[in-house]
Amino acid sequence: MRRAARTACALAALALAGCAAREVQFHRWPAETPADNNKADIARMQGVQAAAAAASKPVPPQAEQTASAPEPAAQPVKPADAPSLQTYDPWGRLNRFTYRLNTRFDEAIFLPVANGYRRLVPSPLRAGVHNFFANLTEVDSVINYTLQGRLHRSVRSLGRFVINTTLGIGGLIDVAGKLVHLPYEPTGFGTTLAKWSMHPGPYLVIPLYGPSTFREGVGLAVDYATLYEINLADLYRGDQSWGLGVANAVDQRANIDFRYYSTGSPFEYETIRFLIVRKQLIEDAGLHKTKPLPKPNPEEPAGK
Amino acid sequence: MRLLATFALIACCSSSLAEPAPLQLPPAPGPATGLADSAALRATVFGTPPQDIAPLPESVPMLEMDLALPWRRPVPQIFWFDKRLRVWFSAQKRPAPLAIIISGTGSDANTSKLSVLRAVLYGAGYHVLTMPSPTFPGFIVSASTTGVAGDLMQDGHDLYAAIVEVVAHLPKKTQITEVDILGYSLGGANAAIVKSIDAAEHKLHIHRAVMINPPVSLFATIGRLDKLYAVSLGNGDAGIERFYQQLYAALANAYRASGRVELDEDFLLGAAAAVLKTDAQFSAAIALSFRIALSNVFLAGDMYSGAGVVIDPAHPPKVGDSLEETARILRSKTFAEYFTRVFAPYYVKRRPDSTVDSLVAQNRLEIIGDQLRSDPDYYCLTNSDDLILDKAELAWLIKALGTRIAVYDHGGHLGNLGDRQQAADLLAMLDGRWQGAH
Repeated sequence: MRRAARTACALAALALAGCAAREVQFHRWPAETPADNNKADIARMQGVQAAAAAASKPVPPQAEQTASAPEPAAQPVKPADAPSLQTYDPWGRLNRFTYRLNTRFDEAIFLPVANGYRRLVPSPLRAGVHNFFANLTEVDSVINYTLQGRLHRSVRSLGRFVINTTLGIGGLIDVAGKLVHLPYEPTGFGTTLAKWSMHPGPYLVIPLYGPSTFREGVGLAVDYATLYEINLADLYRGDQSWGLGVANAVDQRANIDFRYYSTGSPFEYETIRFLIVRKQLIEDAGLHKTKPLPKPNPEEPAGK
Repeated sequence: MRLLATFALIACCSSSLAEPAPLQLPPAPGPATGLADSAALRATVFGTPPQDIAPLPESVPMLEMDLALPWRRPVPQIFWFDKRLRVWFSAQKRPAPLAIIISGTGSDANTSKLSVLRAVLYGAGYHVLTMPSPTFPGFIVSASTTGVAGDLMQDGHDLYAAIVEVVAHLPKKTQITEVDILGYSLGGANAAIVKSIDAAEHKLHIHRAVMINPPVSLFATIGRLDKLYAVSLGNGDAGIERFYQQLYAALANAYRASGRVELDEDFLLGAAAAVLKTDAQFSAAIALSFRIALSNVFLAGDMYSGAGVVIDPAHPPKVGDSLEETARILRSKTFAEYFTRVFAPYYVKRRPDSTVDSLVAQNRLEIIGDQLRSDPDYYCLTNSDDLILDKAELAWLIKALGTRIAVYDHGGHLGNLGDRQQAADLLAMLDGRWQGAH
């Protein structure tokens, strides 16, 4: 068995080396669907305009607020509240190494597999797979929305899980989203930590996963441990767990429109780092609507 | 993603290296016409509204081709991922004309603008090959013979050689009946130059060329972009930091009001109006996007030419080194500084009898003015409010091309790319059916 594995690895390495040396490499991608994309853009634009029109009218207090303690009016974020342009990255050298490792892994294995999946598996089937894995995350969302004190959302996630698991045939069809209009809005322990006022912490590039922060890294580990402990329908510990894990990873990759170094720029690492941390800080500001934001120290990098 | 990208572009505040420049770029004539035009600025930032896009096909096949070109120069370590030229090909299943599209300043071969043009042309029955801009770092590293991008004729020759190589390696079953070329923004000027080179070398037999929103004088245009940047953001650290803080606060407040649990693309689309409000902010976003493209061109040019403006040639950065300080220094570098400290010293040294003035003159479309005037197969689509042109340059284009140009009243710079009228006119030009503007 071990010899077979070694032989397979050697053949894969030779194949990759052969591909790398070729004068021209061809990679067939899933076909673009411009007509459908344009329709989706138009619908999205109409949704945005409708939302803007609705936002200009006075609205009743949110159900979430009525379900828990009433919150005072939000304090607007001022330009002076913006964090420094610098980003906290004490593990920079390790992160850069991991970013390169992820790039090579993505180009050699992950992206070709995800593209093959998108090309060969029909769209309705892929949607079913995506819905199935999304439905499993509702379990984690129920727990974390509760820990965050957002009971309305917790009940909604529970409702989605029950409806999709039963009427949606084990989660393959998003009945709750399409028929009952309960949108899919997952959360995790990283957001719970943010709600508990933990800072994003150092920037962290997670091997094979991608750019993140220390807080989100801890959140991901706890999310996985939670699902592993609950072990719904023995999906996370049985013999099938490896296969499901790989399928989940491929499904996630196939739904992420990102390619390492498509910018062609040596500054891509700095750019992505800047974006990821600002995104998390803005999401944090959304979690703490009533709390005044801490006065930023211009000497201190963002995320610290 | 556009807003996030803009947000990213301001990642680093500037610091200035106040050394005297050995060469001086002549001042840009006149202000950018778009500076005073709100509609043009907004069209430039938001692009063509999706409901105005021309009818598009259901499906377009996508083949990525990565080529190792034999003339590639040694690759600096920090550009390790740019060794191969990456282009995209969409093949018809039957014999068809080939349309080659060249991307705009600093862009790769698969931008959203290229996606629209690719779909329009594929739907009209063309094989479509999309090429990166010769100012895209992936092209500079994998295909440039100099590493110092921005010279119209030199970039044209590099691009021409790369296209010849790519066409020679297209899938064998591809049957091409005719070759046409087009490009947008700087890519438009590149496309016209490539056709003029082909007229002498006859390796591709390019029939028609269409320039979409091209510049007329590269260095007048970059002067205007520097001016746009200075007017909207100032020259020091304070302006860029202030703009970043405004963007951050506006995004955070819009996000809070939205009640969303994730800051995603849908949110950004809706938040755009809340984030960018004034003409100065739109101008800043446009100027920044060009300035970011410049930082890559500047870095590559500095390293390949050994100018030593931001990188010590004796100690180039290695893989894994932080580039934060380099990025910060480059944010303050203007197009004019690239010209005077990297570009001009490099080309003046290598071209006998060259001067700064002659380099400026060589980077005008006028260098192929005779062909533009006399060859009926050159065409142009542009807008009267395009901020990279002034009135005199637009008049020059109209005079040179006569009836072979369509000038729309609105759209700014590329803000009507792929709309129904423009797409119909583009296809008529490529097909030889163009009868002049209506």
